[in-house]
Amino acid sequence: MKNFIEISELIKVFGSGRDEVHAFGPATINISTGEFVSILGPSGCGKSTLMLMVAGLLNSTSGKVEFENKLVKGPKTDIGIMFQDNTLVPWRTVKENIELQLELRGLNLKDYQEQIDNLLKSVSLEDFADRFPNELSGGMQQRAAFCQAMIHDPKIILLDEPLGKLDAMTREKIRADFQKLWMIKKPTVIFVTHSIEEAVQLSSRVILITPRPGKIDREIIIDLPYPRESKVKRSPKFIKYVNSIQEVFQKYGVI
Amino acid sequence: MKKFINWVVSGWMLILFFVGFFLFWEYSIPLFDIPRYILPAPSEIVSKGSADLDKLIYYTGVTGLETVLGYIIALVLGLGFGIAISFSSILRRTLYPFFVSIEMTPKIAFAPLFISWFGFGLMPKVIIVVLVCFFPIVLNAILAFNSLSNELTLFYKSTGASTLKTFFKIRLPAALPQCFVGFKYAAINATVGATIAEFIGSDKGLGFYISIVTGNMRPDLAFAGIFFLTCLGLSVFGFVTMMEKILIPWHISMKRINK
Repeated sequence: MKNFIEISELIKVFGSGRDEVHAFGPATINISTGEFVSILGPSGCGKSTLMLMVAGLLNSTSGKVEFENKLVKGPKTDIGIMFQDNTLVPWRTVKENIELQLELRGLNLKDYQEQIDNLLKSVSLEDFADRFPNELSGGMQQRAAFCQAMIHDPKIILLDEPLGKLDAMTREKIRADFQKLWMIKKPTVIFVTHSIEEAVQLSSRVILITPRPGKIDREIIIDLPYPRESKVKRSPKFIKYVNSIQEVFQKYGVI
Repeated sequence: MKKFINWVVSGWMLILFFVGFFLFWEYSIPLFDIPRYILPAPSEIVSKGSADLDKLIYYTGVTGLETVLGYIIALVLGLGFGIAISFSSILRRTLYPFFVSIEMTPKIAFAPLFISWFGFGLMPKVIIVVLVCFFPIVLNAILAFNSLSNELTLFYKSTGASTLKTFFKIRLPAALPQCFVGFKYAAINATVGATIAEFIGSDKGLGFYISIVTGNMRPDLAFAGIFFLTCLGLSVFGFVTMMEKILIPWHISMKRINK
C-alpha cells in the first residue's frame, strides 16, 4: 500500500533559550490510506502536538509532514477534526452545528440533508437533531461532534482524545459508533488516546509514544478482524496485545 | 406550573416588601417627627410632584435624549474599537494599555472641563455619557473577542473559511454574552453620567431640576425628580436586557439550565 501520510523527523520545541521545552520528536511515521492509527502515550508526551502538526495547525520546529507527497504548510482543510472539548457552538442545534462545518466550507446544505439524517441515525441521535448542545449529555455531545467532523466526507479524521471526559459505559457505546462509521466510509483516522484498551480495540496499528519528549517506542499492528465488538476484549489475543503495551509503559514508569 | 407558582410567590413577596417599605416611610415621618424639609412623606412627593408633572416629563425627555444618544455612540465606538483591538496586535499593544490606564481615572472628573469647553448645551452631556459608557463596553468587548476556545479556533482554521465568514458565524455570536456584560454595566452608568453632567452645568434636565429644587429646600420635588430618573434608568437597562434576550436566547436558557 502506498503511503498516504508521511511524517519525517518531525520535532517540536516550544519557547527558546532557558524556557525551551522539547515537546515532541524526532519521529517518523508512515500511514496508508484507510488505516486507523492510534497514537498512544502518557499525558504530556506531545501526542496532541503531533496531531496538530499533522493537521498543519501548528508549525513544526523541524522535519516535515506530507500528504500524498504534498508538503503541509498551512492548515489542512480536507480533514475532519475532533477534540476532547467538542466544537459544538451553544447557539446552534445539533443539526445546525453539523451544518456549520458545511457552511464554513461553502458547501450547499441541500446536498447534505440526507447525509446528515443518516449520520445522526447511525449514532442514534436522530431524535435530538433540533436540540441544543447544552440539552444533551456529554456522550451525546461527543457523538454529535463526531457527525460534525465527518459530514463533509474528509479523507482524514483527526481525533484528539474525543472520549477523554466520558464515563466507561458511554465510551464503550461511542467506540462502537466510531468503528461502524469508519468501516462504512473508510477514512484515514489518527486517533490520539491514552487508553490502551481503546487503542487496541479500534486501531489497525498502535504507535506507542514515550514520555516527553515524545518519541516512537514501537509500533504494534493489531491483527484482529473487524468489526471488533466489546467481547473481543475477552479474547486471548486482545489481552496479549494489551499486556505487551502495558509492559512497555511500565518500563517507562508511567504505569 | 410550578415555575408559575414560584414566580407568583416571589413576585408577591417583592410587592409586599415595597408596600411595607413605603408604609414605613409614610408613617415614620409623623412618628419620629421628621421635618418636611429633611424628608417628605411619599404621599407628599406624589401630590407635590404631580403639580410639576409637565416639567418633570419634559426634563425626563431631555435627560433621556442625552443618555440614549451618549449610550448609542459609546456602543458603536466601544464595539468598533473592541473588535479592532482584538484583531490587531499593534492596537493591542498601544490603544489597549492606554484604555486600561484611562479606565482607572474617574471619568466624571472631566465633566467640568467639557462644560467649560463646549458650553451648557446637549453636546457636553452626551460626551460625558459616552465617556462613562465607552470603557466598560470596549474592555468587555476585547475580553469577549479574545476568549474564543482553542478548539473552536482550530476547528474553523481546519475549514479554510474566510476571516469574515468565521467572524459572523463563530467569533461574533461567541463574543455576544461577554459583550452584553459591558452593555449592561454601561447602561447603568449612562444615567449617572447624564445626571452629574447636568448637576455641573445646565439649564434643563432632571439633574438640573434636582439640584435647583434641593437648593430651594424642596426635597419633595427632588424625590419626584429622582423617581423619574429611576424610571429612565430602568427603561434603558430594561431595553438592553430585552435585547440580550432577543439576540442571544441560547445564552439565557443555558444559564437557566446550569442553575
